[in-house]
Amino acid sequence: MTGQLRLLASVAARHLVGRRRQTIVAVSGVAVGVGFFLAVSAMMIGSQNDFIKTLIDAAPHIIISDELRSPPAQPGVSLYKGAAINLRHYKVRNEVRGLKGWPEILRTVNALPGAIGSPSLSGAITLRSGGREEALTIVGVDPAIEEKVSTIQDQLRIGRLRDLESTQGGIIIGEEMARRLGLGVGDVVGATSASGKSRSLRIVGLFKRGQTQISSGLGYVLLREAQSLLGRPFIINRIGVRLADPYEAEPISRRLEARYAYKAESWQERSADFLSLLVTRNVIMYSVVSAILLVASFGIYTVVSNSVSDKRRDIAIMRSMGFSERDLQLIFVFEGLALALIGIVAGWLLGYGLMAILGSLKFPIAGEDQHLPLDRTARQYAIAAAASLLSGVIAAWLPARKAARVDPVDILRGAV
Amino acid sequence: MSAIIEVQDLSRSLPGTPPVTLVSDVSLSIQPATFVAIVGPSGCGKSSLLYLLGLLDRPTSGQVLFNGQDMNPLRGDARAGIRLASFGFVFQFHFLLPEFTALENVMLPMRRLGKLSLTEIQAKAQALLEGMGLGEKSTKTPDRLSGGERQRVAIARAIANDPALVLGDEPTGNLDSQNSARVVEMFRNLAHDQGRAVVCVTHDPDVAAAADVQISMLDGRIKETSVRPR
Repeated sequence: MTGQLRLLASVAARHLVGRRRQTIVAVSGVAVGVGFFLAVSAMMIGSQNDFIKTLIDAAPHIIISDELRSPPAQPGVSLYKGAAINLRHYKVRNEVRGLKGWPEILRTVNALPGAIGSPSLSGAITLRSGGREEALTIVGVDPAIEEKVSTIQDQLRIGRLRDLESTQGGIIIGEEMARRLGLGVGDVVGATSASGKSRSLRIVGLFKRGQTQISSGLGYVLLREAQSLLGRPFIINRIGVRLADPYEAEPISRRLEARYAYKAESWQERSADFLSLLVTRNVIMYSVVSAILLVASFGIYTVVSNSVSDKRRDIAIMRSMGFSERDLQLIFVFEGLALALIGIVAGWLLGYGLMAILGSLKFPIAGEDQHLPLDRTARQYAIAAAASLLSGVIAAWLPARKAARVDPVDILRGAV
Repeated sequence: MSAIIEVQDLSRSLPGTPPVTLVSDVSLSIQPATFVAIVGPSGCGKSSLLYLLGLLDRPTSGQVLFNGQDMNPLRGDARAGIRLASFGFVFQFHFLLPEFTALENVMLPMRRLGKLSLTEIQAKAQALLEGMGLGEKSTKTPDRLSGGERQRVAIARAIANDPALVLGDEPTGNLDSQNSARVVEMFRNLAHDQGRAVVCVTHDPDVAAAADVQISMLDGRIKETSVRPR
């Protein structure tokens, strides 16, 4: 059986060698399709992965805040379930002051394998310097824990998060804010909270410009500093959680929320609009590159179809020799298969080369040389190969059916 | 002696209005070790009869019996299998596969049958070509061979699987008289020395004269059958 398949394959190979130019064109078609599929999908998926990584790293994977997603049901409604009660104009209580029992929540979070929770308290204060006033949201954190949970450390232009511990009344603000107040590192600034407490804070670090939100409106202080300044001792209103596997964020956040009722938001939920945008992007990409692969298979169709027309005499003689219809069909399917396989291998090489070129390009962004993020995983090679192989076999199978249907008698009668 | 192939009331017509009759009500039987020539004017249905005998075509009515077995109910695959193992065709235009050498052409039916190993097949093909006087031309492709040489390769290929029945469709139609005579001699040997049944459709009076049985056809029917004593 295998010997006979090898025989059919060798006939197919001879046919292809005999029509070398068409074979080269068809193979090039597949190769270009596969090559560009790889290059385009490497860029698209690479940039997508890069983007998602940025999304994941931008903030803790899960943020538990002192909010309730939906206000608790009114006592009347929960007491008489299904009754015709319609309450309106009552005071909605969906905001709570601080996470109650937060040490317990923190213990639960830290008990998850590889997870770290960082408690923080944020609140509004006013900074005052030389007659200028600027509103600021301060976040009180434990620097040793916070730097493990978020990438805030990387956003500092000057100073380190740990400097908050070594300086009494230290604060880190954005470059933008510092410029507006006309201050620099080491300067002292007056801070007043909504509750009326005042204090002098010393600037120990500056956030980079560019992160507009952080740069202009956020300030980091020690947790106990924030608690005392905002007049809320021992209270926190946010726990940022970093997980070992960011893709676990969604189920874990759901569990935490179900257990403690506080709003626990995963990074996926926060970036739902971006993620759906990525889906659209992928649909566009795959339809474009599939079209390339499909067009490549037209080349295979042409070659096999021409081959069948040219070889009608050979088909007739092989049928008279005792080759079956199925044998003849297989010969021409093998031709398409061979074209696809050679094209795929050539396309892999082409794609590899294109990726090497793309990977070596440098783009200066914000003063730093950046490389295109490329996804070079084997998965893309496999997808490209599978798709071209499938379309190649279908493209060959259609004309190959014609070969099986050639009536040897018609050919022999016509020739004699 | 029992017949290798036997046909009963065989008819073949092409659909149309009115239908074109190619073969009508033909009955005959072909014995082993016999050289049969089918003669007649163009369009008398002799080639059509040959295709029916060779299981390349199916009759409109009537039966073809191979070794006593009715071939009508068999599917295409089974008929191809019988052609492969038991029939050998030689055509007017030799019909070698152009991409393959003479040796490879002769090897094709044996490789398809798959009964021998590749080395055995190669040795047998080489021996067959040597028997045709083509031993040193075995590595040439058909375009490097003369018409007579190609026809001899085609005959070698036709008998590669030791068929019981060899069918020739104007096998000398494209050859000069010297090569024709050679082919006729080979066909006689296939019948008389190797015990095969040989059926040859021909216009050539020399081929017809060399045959043991001469069947004359006219308008799809057998007009006359003459047996020449050996």
